[in-house]
Amino acid sequence: GDSWGIFAFLCAALCNLPALPALNCTEEPGAGRCIQQTYDLTRYLEHQLRTLAGTYLNYLGPPFNEPDFNPPRLARAERVPSATVDLDLWRGLTDNARLAANYRAYSRLLCYLRALDGTAGTAELRHRLGHFCSSLQGLVLSIAGVMSSLGYPLPAGPPVPPGTSVASNDFLKKMDDFWLLKELQTWLWRSAKDFNRLKKKVPPAVVTLRLEARGF
Amino acid sequence: VSLAADPAVISPQDPTLLIGSSLVATCTVSPDFHLKAEDLYWTLNGRRLPAASYTTLGPTTLSVALARLNGSKQQSGDNLVCHSRDGGILAGSCLYVGLPPEKPVNITCWSKNMKDLTCKWAPGTEGETFLHTNYTLKYKLRWYGRDNTCQEYHTAGHYSCHIPKDLALFTPYEIWVEASNRLGVAVSDVVMLDILDVVTTDPPSDVHVSRVGDLEDQLSVRWSSPPALKDFLFQAKYQIQYRVEDSSEWKVVDNVGNQTSCRLAGLRPGTVYFVQVRCNPFGIYGSKKSGIWSDWSNPTAASTPRSERAAGGCDPKGGEQNTTLRRELKQFFGWVKKHAYGCSNLGIKLYDQWRVWLQKSHKTRNQVGKEP
Repeated sequence: GDSWGIFAFLCAALCNLPALPALNCTEEPGAGRCIQQTYDLTRYLEHQLRTLAGTYLNYLGPPFNEPDFNPPRLARAERVPSATVDLDLWRGLTDNARLAANYRAYSRLLCYLRALDGTAGTAELRHRLGHFCSSLQGLVLSIAGVMSSLGYPLPAGPPVPPGTSVASNDFLKKMDDFWLLKELQTWLWRSAKDFNRLKKKVPPAVVTLRLEARGF
Repeated sequence: VSLAADPAVISPQDPTLLIGSSLVATCTVSPDFHLKAEDLYWTLNGRRLPAASYTTLGPTTLSVALARLNGSKQQSGDNLVCHSRDGGILAGSCLYVGLPPEKPVNITCWSKNMKDLTCKWAPGTEGETFLHTNYTLKYKLRWYGRDNTCQEYHTAGHYSCHIPKDLALFTPYEIWVEASNRLGVAVSDVVMLDILDVVTTDPPSDVHVSRVGDLEDQLSVRWSSPPALKDFLFQAKYQIQYRVEDSSEWKVVDNVGNQTSCRLAGLRPGTVYFVQVRCNPFGIYGSKKSGIWSDWSNPTAASTPRSERAAGGCDPKGGEQNTTLRRELKQFFGWVKKHAYGCSNLGIKLYDQWRVWLQKSHKTRNQVGKEP
């Protein structure tokens, strides 16, 4: 760990500054910062969601805003990607798979959130929702940034358009909205752990490998 | 479309009802679920409905009677839910209970510099909050033209709309508001107005208040006409209001006319005054009518001089201290100007502005404290 870092520093200093541009912000040290930023963003969104969900569930009315409310997840609710995953499976995910799962999930969640009824609800609720969607868009872009800085391709294909499976009555739509918010909550909670894991894995080792490859 | 059957079906599904009406709803369980009518119960907004109001209509169908319904608890609809004995949700229906809207009233509009039009109105009754009520502002030129719909809502409060462009002058507009909800539509009376009759503008800029030599009871106020006025062959008339620092009572000077300066007289010596100016465009393109008063300019402060010899007749509210403090401050600022660079704006005037600001933020803090 430490000795490699010192070696890397000495090499860069000795071989003159032109060597350092090879380590500019689009390369690994940039990825480390990107991952930290993405982690921070998930924590911030988690916090924002608490207020948004509280307001939205009050708008849906009881029993949706009751603390232990747990309606059935009907078949149509399964279009929302689930964060729940087997522990060993989660541990064994490659960095690429881990990032791709996050990217795909938030892209779709963003689509569904945007489709939440834009005409009903108070102006305050619509405003909060709009603000949250912007922040969530930021998270999707941040994850894309991490993936490209690590050299991974972005998952292909557009997310499933929400219009394809719309709830057939107002009550079922309320249940869909409830589960959307729940899954969003679970994903943000999981992503913090995903990015924490990535944080620990990415920098120093990869930096020094790069220096070796350049024959220093 | 999902292939799995819904556990149960409620009828009516998502009905709309008038306040005070009654409803009988039925829940029919799907045969795949092997539940009987006696295994079911109902809740409304999370509260269990009494079994006395249930009736078994068939082996798998249970009904509930709801009488004299109150307005919906939330605009997304009251949640009427059919449960199985263990509490599980089988189906739900959203009840929309309310009143049809009444004609919106009190439509008032104003145009900023003849460039746009903002209108606001009030709902016909208080009781329009049970159901979501949509308001649409429409307008058309009086003798021709089609109906146009305003797009930018909530710009000046909840019941308002802003029309940003493509407005014609010299022909009156007909303006009205339509309110609609699930129970019906109501249209306001039509208001007719000419844009030129409801013009307002920005408050005057660069308001300066200064002393008149050594005169203890006078202050001179100067300002610039708002820039938009130049282009529109306007005239402007102004109004000044001023008050003593510690008072909330404004004195208004009305007959300022169209000059851009005014002298306030009959003031108290050695007192800090706050002054604001506002503007009213009139004589627009030769019309005789006035427009609408602009907002007041931000308050500007200044103080009247006090002659040093009036030691005996001092203001009982610690005026002595104020005089000493001000004198010392003036001496300090004089010294700073001589010895420190880049502080040329420091002076007794800046100190007075700070006192205005202090008063304002002190007031807001007090107001916040007083809120229930």
